[in-house]
Amino acid sequence: MLAIIWKDIMLEMRSRETIASLLVFGLVVLVVFNFALDVTPANVLELAPGLLWVAIVLSAVTGLGRTFLIERENGCMTGLLLAPIERSSIYLAKLLVNIALLVVFEAGLIPFFILIYTVPIGGNLAALCAVVLVGTIGLAAAGTLFATVAAGTRARELMLPLIVLPLQIPLLISAVQATGLVLAGHPLGDLGNWGTILVAFDVLFITMGWLAFEFISVD
Amino acid sequence: MVDKISQLFLRISPYAAFVLFPITLWCVFFWVPSDAFLGLNQRIFYYHVPAAITCFLGFASGGVASGIFLKTGNKDWDHAAHASVGIGLLFGTILLATGSVWARTAWGTWWTWDARLTTFLVLWLIFASYLLLRMMADDNEMMPRWAAVLAIVGCVNIPVVQFATRLWRTIHPQVIRNPDGGINDPAMQATLGLCLLAYFVMFSWLWALRVRMLRMHDRVDYLLDEAYREGNA
Repeated sequence: MLAIIWKDIMLEMRSRETIASLLVFGLVVLVVFNFALDVTPANVLELAPGLLWVAIVLSAVTGLGRTFLIERENGCMTGLLLAPIERSSIYLAKLLVNIALLVVFEAGLIPFFILIYTVPIGGNLAALCAVVLVGTIGLAAAGTLFATVAAGTRARELMLPLIVLPLQIPLLISAVQATGLVLAGHPLGDLGNWGTILVAFDVLFITMGWLAFEFISVD
Repeated sequence: MVDKISQLFLRISPYAAFVLFPITLWCVFFWVPSDAFLGLNQRIFYYHVPAAITCFLGFASGGVASGIFLKTGNKDWDHAAHASVGIGLLFGTILLATGSVWARTAWGTWWTWDARLTTFLVLWLIFASYLLLRMMADDNEMMPRWAAVLAIVGCVNIPVVQFATRLWRTIHPQVIRNPDGGINDPAMQATLGLCLLAYFVMFSWLWALRVRMLRMHDRVDYLLDEAYREGNA
């Protein structure tokens, strides 16, 4: 399992193509929304949480498909599946790689987001990062599970968002609400039900991915 | 087992539907009293609520059948799940359409982002993506398993979607088991029960037809393969 993680990370470190395209894509989304919504200092607190999450979700859904595509392109998936490890370990390895990838991407995106929209972050940067991290885990858990499915369909770039976005709506709702509270200066303890949904979603989708990957990948 | 159930439905349901639906029409338009506050337009409720329950039934049985399919690998259960989700989606569309018509007269708008409406739209989208996945990967032998996992994940996700959307304020009426302002008139309850029965019968008929069609489709594919192989030999 560690070997798979190491292999994928090395691959990404050498090429940097996924992370670079993710970052630029995220920035493009942020910039495009500036023109679509006309963000001003007066409405930034209302719009910013949604903007951030739309940028993250869209980038994640377009970028996550790659982790299984790189295996498929060279017929490596068969090799992976033949390896003497539990199928669920492959899922967990891919999930961890995806989370790492998204975290690096967000570390680049969030400063840019705060700067270009002049988001009044105050002293709550740590809380914002915590919310983003918990949301990212859920995104990656559902995305990783269905990325392997989407890779086997005809319109693969279209299928992954089609399957994953509706499933992620509860996550998106609570992530946006929690981010709004954090940006408004509330501490993490004030998130209440929104925090609960985020964590519950993470646990649910990691468990389901871990259990279901076996069925998805058997040949 | 799927075969036996669908045979039974094909034998009974068509007749039951032809008897039940005219009766429900008479009940809804002539027999049942109008609602004290909402007046005539409330009558769409008798076709709206059964559609909701039938749609949920379709999605839930799709999830269950998918689970059995993953466990046993029996293709019949895959057909059962496929048919359940497909027909469930049809009833979901009826639900959204009738609800929209009602909301136009009662709330003055075709659509609003209320918790229940949002929940249902999300479910509709999830199971629409299920059908799309089946369509987009029909040349892949793994597809039934993928679809089954998606149906199960979709079903497990239902309570989370409901919980998340319900935290928003809801304006959707709560009519069943509501002491003040619900349907407490015996005629109303009888009409609702009858409509529900008619919808279940309709679902079972359409479901059985769909299962038979999917089975024939598989058979044709198999025979075509066979003929192709013989032609080559």
